[in-house]
Amino acid sequence: MSEPTSAQTRRLAEEARDRVRFEEEALELSDQVYRVARHLVGSREAAEDLVQETYVRAFRSWQQYTPGTNLRAWLLRILTNLNIDRGRRQQRTPQTASLDEKGDYYLYDKLEEREGGPLDEERVIERLSQDSIVDALAHVPHDFRDVLVLVDIGEFSYADTAQILDIPIGTVMSRLHRGRRILKGELAEEVTK
Amino acid sequence: MSAYGVDPCEKCEEMMQDYLDRELTEAEMREAESHLDTCSYCRRRYRFEVSLRRYIRTAANEQMPVGLKQKLAALRIELQ
Repeated sequence: MSEPTSAQTRRLAEEARDRVRFEEEALELSDQVYRVARHLVGSREAAEDLVQETYVRAFRSWQQYTPGTNLRAWLLRILTNLNIDRGRRQQRTPQTASLDEKGDYYLYDKLEEREGGPLDEERVIERLSQDSIVDALAHVPHDFRDVLVLVDIGEFSYADTAQILDIPIGTVMSRLHRGRRILKGELAEEVTK
Repeated sequence: MSAYGVDPCEKCEEMMQDYLDRELTEAEMREAESHLDTCSYCRRRYRFEVSLRRYIRTAANEQMPVGLKQKLAALRIELQ
C-alpha cells in the first residue's frame, strides 16, 4: 500500500496530464468549431465570442468529457446550447418568406430557365458567389439552419447532430431536407434577381 | 403519371437527398441508380446537386480569424 501523500501527488499529476491532453485536443479542433459557429450566428464577431465562451465552458468542465468519445461533437453541443440559451441567434432573418418552401429541383430549374437550355452544372455553380451562399445560409430559419450547418458544413452524421441538438434523428432528417430546400429557394432568389 | 401509378422522375426527386446522403436501403439505391443511368433529366439534376453541395461546403469554409486560437489558448492559463 502506498503512502497517501504520494498517491495523492500521483493522482494530481495524472489529472494535470489528462487536462493538458484535453485542452490540446480541444484547441486542435477550434478551427472546425469556428467554421460551424460562423454560420450559426450572424457575424464573425458573434462567432468569435461564441467560440470563446464555448472554450471557457469546455476548459472549466473538461472532466465531464468522456475520453475516447467524439470531442468535436461535445464542443459543438456546448456551443449550440450557449447559442440557444443566450438568445445569440441572428435576429435579421425573415422567418415567413423563407418558409415558402420550393421543391428539390427548384434552383436547378430556375437556372435552366434563365440559361434557356440544359445547364453545364459546374459552370453555372461557379456563378454563385461565396457571398451569395453565406447570405442565403443566413436567411434559413434557425431550427433548419442549425441542422443544415452541422450536417452539410460540419460534416456531422445524423446521429451526432441529433445528439448535439438534443432532438430525435427523424427531426434531424426532416429539418435537413426542408433546410436544404429553403436554402436553394434563397439561392434561386439571389441568382434570378 | 406512368402506367405504374408513380412518375419515376418524381420518385427520383423524392429519393435524391437520401441518395446523396447514402441513407437509402440497398434496393432503393439500386432503383435510384438504374433510373439515373437511363434518365438524362434526373442525371443533370443529380450532378447539379453533387456540385452544389461541394460548393456550399467550400464557400462556407471560412478561416478562423488570426489571433482567435491564441485567445483560446490563453483561456487555459486564465482559468487555472
